Amino acid sequence: MNESEYQALMEASWRRPLTDEEQARLDAWLRAHPAAQNEWEAEAALNRLLEQLPEAPLASNFTARVLQAVERKSATLERRESVLDHVKRWFWRPAPRFAWALVVAGLLGFGYHQHQTNVTNQVAKGLSVMANVATLSDPVVLQDFEAIQRLAKSAPGDDDELYAVLNQP
Amino acid sequence: MSTVADPDAALMLRVKQGDRDAFEVLVEKYKQPVMNLVYRTLPDAAEAEDLAQHVFLQVFKSAHRYEVAAKFTTWLFTIARNLCLNEIRRRSRHPAESLDETFADNDDQPIRQPEDLRTFSPPDSLLHGELEEKIEEALAELPEKQRTAILMCRGDEFSYEDIAEVLECSVSATKSLIHRGRETLKQKLKPYLKTGAWKEK
Repeated sequence: MNESEYQALMEASWRRPLTDEEQARLDAWLRAHPAAQNEWEAEAALNRLLEQLPEAPLASNFTARVLQAVERKSATLERRESVLDHVKRWFWRPAPRFAWALVVAGLLGFGYHQHQTNVTNQVAKGLSVMANVATLSDPVVLQDFEAIQRLAKSAPGDDDELYAVLNQP
Repeated sequence: MSTVADPDAALMLRVKQGDRDAFEVLVEKYKQPVMNLVYRTLPDAAEAEDLAQHVFLQVFKSAHRYEVAAKFTTWLFTIARNLCLNEIRRRSRHPAESLDETFADNDDQPIRQPEDLRTFSPPDSLLHGELEEKIEEALAELPEKQRTAILMCRGDEFSYEDIAEVLECSVSATKSLIHRGRETLKQKLKPYLKTGAWKEK
């Protein structure tokens, strides 16, 4: 047996008593390695202490109480499901179905009406732009446009300069 | 039809179909191991019992999500540990609130009932008084992961892989947690381990 096997035996002893065969191998190891004896004794003593740790206190009616809690939980869920079923059943009766169909038809009609209104508004806006274009001034008015623009850039000081600017090709 | 090797998983599949008898069998079988873990995390018997009840209630509520991918006990103890951790966190935020407020969840009545004819399990004759108190104290002082690992490690129910899954860490990390926890326990219980006082009880 080597050190890792000894370690494996120790880990096994944390969970269960060693088998006779494992115990024999361990005894042989401890005889060959007396320094490990103390460590092993402490491990074994702690194992015994932990094995003898008492069970936590538990009420005799624990299971009954858990089952009661489950019953209550199930009843709550069943109540919720029954409300949902009721709503579903109501919904599929003829009158609510007709009412629902009316609501859907109303919404569709309203949507179509809104769409038509939007289209009419957009056409009216387009026509109004065209009307503004039709009322623009005569193009002759704009014949000196470039000269006036250059005048603004050069900012002439007197009438001669103004004249020169106007006569530029 | 496929067969389920883990009998607890087979029972849980029946619970998933709404079988209350199967659920009762599981509660009967695991109430004590769950309580042992919860009680050593929240060392107040009444509160620990309420929390243990909620562990099983949670099992029932989550039954529809249960898949036979892991051992039932691993799933159960993961739920138990998570509820314990939630409770510890809640206590650190709202120390004055009771467990009933935490788990009210629209139930009509609180789970704890006034009439409770408690009959506690008989104490182990080998461990009484001071020694038992010292062991419980030493365990309580361990970090939660080390304590849970050591408690789950007692007995043959859980493999190291199962414990690792519950603690959400690797197998080597789990063994390391157990080793460190045991070293601390050995230090704290040294006088009892040395003198063998526990043997005389």
